Amino acid sequence: MVTKVMQIILSPVLALIVGVFFLGLARKIMARIHWRYGPPLIQPVIDMIRLFYQKSVSHGRMFDLGIILSLAGSIVVVLFLPFGRMCPLSGSGGLLVILYIMLLAPLGIALSGGQGANPNISIGISRKLILSLGYEVPLLLVLLAVMTRYKTISIMEVVSAQQSTSWSLISFPLFLSGLSYFLILPAILGIRPFDVSSAPQEISSGPMVEYGGKYLALATIEHAFVLFISIALFVNLFLGGAANPVIFFVKMLVVFVLGLCINAVFPRFRIEQAVKYLWNWPTLLAFLGLIMTLVIRS
Amino acid sequence: MSLELLLIVAFGGALLTYLLGKLSHKVRDSLAVGISLVLVVFVAYFYGKPMEKTFYSGFFGLGLVLRSNMFSWFFAIAISSLGALCTIFSLSYMKTRERTDFYYSMMLLVNAAMLGIVLAGDLVSFYIFWEVMSWSTFLLISYNRGPALAAGMKYIIMSIIGSLAMLIGMLSLYATYGTLNISEISAVITSASSGYILFILIIFGIAFGIKNAVMPLHTWLPDSYAEAPSPFTAILSGMLTRMGVYGFVLIMYVIVGAASTLNSGPGILKFNYILAWLGAVTIVIPTFIAMLQNDAKKLLAWHGIGQGGYMILGIAFGTSLGVAGGIFHTLNHAIYIVLLFMSVGAVQYRTNGERDLNSLGGLIKKMPIAFIGGLLGISGLIGVPLTNGFVSKWLIYKTLIVEGYPFLAFAALIGTWGTILSVYKFLHNMFLGQLPEKYKDIQKSPLSMQLPMIVLSLAILLFGILPGIPLKVINEIGTSFGFESLNVTLWGIASETGTLNTINIFSALLVAGTIVLLLFRLGAKSVPVSQEDSYAAGAHIPKDKYHYTAEFYNPLYRMIKPFLRDVIDEFYYGIAVSVQRLCDRVRHIYVGDVGYYVMYIILFLALLIFVQLKWRSW
Repeated sequence: MVTKVMQIILSPVLALIVGVFFLGLARKIMARIHWRYGPPLIQPVIDMIRLFYQKSVSHGRMFDLGIILSLAGSIVVVLFLPFGRMCPLSGSGGLLVILYIMLLAPLGIALSGGQGANPNISIGISRKLILSLGYEVPLLLVLLAVMTRYKTISIMEVVSAQQSTSWSLISFPLFLSGLSYFLILPAILGIRPFDVSSAPQEISSGPMVEYGGKYLALATIEHAFVLFISIALFVNLFLGGAANPVIFFVKMLVVFVLGLCINAVFPRFRIEQAVKYLWNWPTLLAFLGLIMTLVIRS
Repeated sequence: MSLELLLIVAFGGALLTYLLGKLSHKVRDSLAVGISLVLVVFVAYFYGKPMEKTFYSGFFGLGLVLRSNMFSWFFAIAISSLGALCTIFSLSYMKTRERTDFYYSMMLLVNAAMLGIVLAGDLVSFYIFWEVMSWSTFLLISYNRGPALAAGMKYIIMSIIGSLAMLIGMLSLYATYGTLNISEISAVITSASSGYILFILIIFGIAFGIKNAVMPLHTWLPDSYAEAPSPFTAILSGMLTRMGVYGFVLIMYVIVGAASTLNSGPGILKFNYILAWLGAVTIVIPTFIAMLQNDAKKLLAWHGIGQGGYMILGIAFGTSLGVAGGIFHTLNHAIYIVLLFMSVGAVQYRTNGERDLNSLGGLIKKMPIAFIGGLLGISGLIGVPLTNGFVSKWLIYKTLIVEGYPFLAFAALIGTWGTILSVYKFLHNMFLGQLPEKYKDIQKSPLSMQLPMIVLSLAILLFGILPGIPLKVINEIGTSFGFESLNVTLWGIASETGTLNTINIFSALLVAGTIVLLLFRLGAKSVPVSQEDSYAAGAHIPKDKYHYTAEFYNPLYRMIKPFLRDVIDEFYYGIAVSVQRLCDRVRHIYVGDVGYYVMYIILFLALLIFVQLKWRSW
């Protein structure tokens, strides 16, 4: 009981630390790729603390509640994700529940932004939702392949099945799905070339445009959690999870840096181009993966 | 207390309402509400009291039977409660309309007929109630005249085709077994050949498929939903259309029985397998068509079709989990779609019937209850965790994944993600964004509209957080069909292949929300600003219509629009037009001049003589 409570408290904190570290790291690596020096690693932390003390504007009740809902949703997802051996709320519906609670974050931002009554926000949300429809097609195929392969909807069982055999990423039909997930990962994270919904130069950061002060700080924390969740999901499903948090973190770091280096050099897609890309190769790979899984199963 | 009394109150109430309306509108309104509330109490009283009774035996030697069991009780309580809420909602919505006596009595008649359908214990009375329902629905769809007449016509034509199919099925059953009593048929049909069972399933499937708007039999639905008065659209989408689901379950698992249904037809051509694929198509295509709609009610109507697909998908697989999911989704869908139509109705009531999504906006501060209703409604429709839609969808997905049909599961899941896009547009364009100048002085909804919306909002949360309450009843329905019992707890379902525990999610979200809220409170205070005070890079902000709603998903439209024509509707329309043309030509025979008629007779006689001389056929 005590360990359970400890885990429930510890895992969001760890996730936050990892997520914020990744945010800082991302800026640093991007800067180096661009031949700049870049801000210090703890710059996001400094920014957040500063933002909490700054003035902000509010457009109404939903404007406040949306961002709170969004962040709370992300924290809950973390509780369902195994982090090493640590998974506080494993037995509560499995991957399907994770998939659905992951909805709360974008939905909260969309509701909050909706009350902002700013065209930049609407355009940003419209793009974000289209993009998410774009990447959900391959993502769902990937997740279904994994669930069909291991005949379970529980993420803990997927992890333990991999630990007794081998990583999904190097097992036969699932490497197709794994590859597909890796290809859509930047779209899920909303980093370049898929930063269509924030797009600072075009639509003034889209849904963030009315945020200032603590709203922006909470949105940054939320972003950190999303970084953690998407990569942790990949590590759990395809890299066999990990026996302890340290190895898990190392695996996440490798995936993140690899993804960043590949994508940092691309210019931004237009939204149609992004959807076309997502419905092309990643979907095809994921589709093949699912077909192969079905063939092997029967 | 007996079942006849229930139906007498229901039908008598409808008639009495019409007559009393001639005397006083106030008395009529309270009578309509009273009758619909009494029916709820009546039905609730029959909980756990299975009975079967022949109430009339003179119908050509066939006994007309009423019966009540868990399955019919479950639908009856949903029908009567939603009916009562919609009647209450009508009070202010219909206040300024004409022909309200007719409206209220038809509303009660539809409810009575639906109660009759679910309580019918033989197919003759089932058919009679079914027809009463279809015709009174037709009258209510056409209530607004104008385009509503065409919508009603479309509905009634398809409905008649369905009824005829059902009639053929009934005649065939009668010719084979000599009885139309549901429990008697189900006892003897087990020995039938699989070909005959397939025939029965298909012929009844057409009837119920039309009612439940399963693709490709869905075309009546969008127009009818959009044109009917909003409180009735709520009933139409919530329960009436779902009589199709009731029918499917009745024919598949009560009359034919699970074992025979699951063995009908060879290999992948099994009835339930094909039905499942139709369900999947019914989910995906309408959900994407819904994205293109700019009419609030049409948008919801297309979702009505799409959500029907989930129910079909759930019940098509004869597993206890799937059937439970399908039936539960019927209830959940009824709750949130009624709420959504009420929300639209409340907005329409205050904005002179405006339902064009592009010209509304910013109503959240003016109509907070309608907004909360809309928000919880769309959450249920999407299936956000802790709303009722989530649990039933979870059951359906899990069935599909565990049974090894990931592509069907993919169709169901991607339908959900398509839903998010369109319902966000629905909520955003009506309630969020900038408030147009002309709606500056709008009033909030009257109490008789708020009350049903609050009740339904609470129901969504209650069944989302404690799904065990309805699932216990549904589980009993499942076991009465011969499925194995599910391990239902108050907050979910336990099983080997994955457990659902909503109380965990609920408490986690509650704690996380509280922590974030505290963090939010700790930060520097925010200043409330008006809607005009927003960032425009220094440019002037126009007073009216600054936010962006029209063509909300334009980049996506451009990509998918060519694929989303409603070809089936065009096809049916083509048939209708050519039949009309043919009839028009035939009409020209009747010229009205006696000389021509004499000529027709002589020509016909000549033809007969010619035939006789040539072939000597007589």
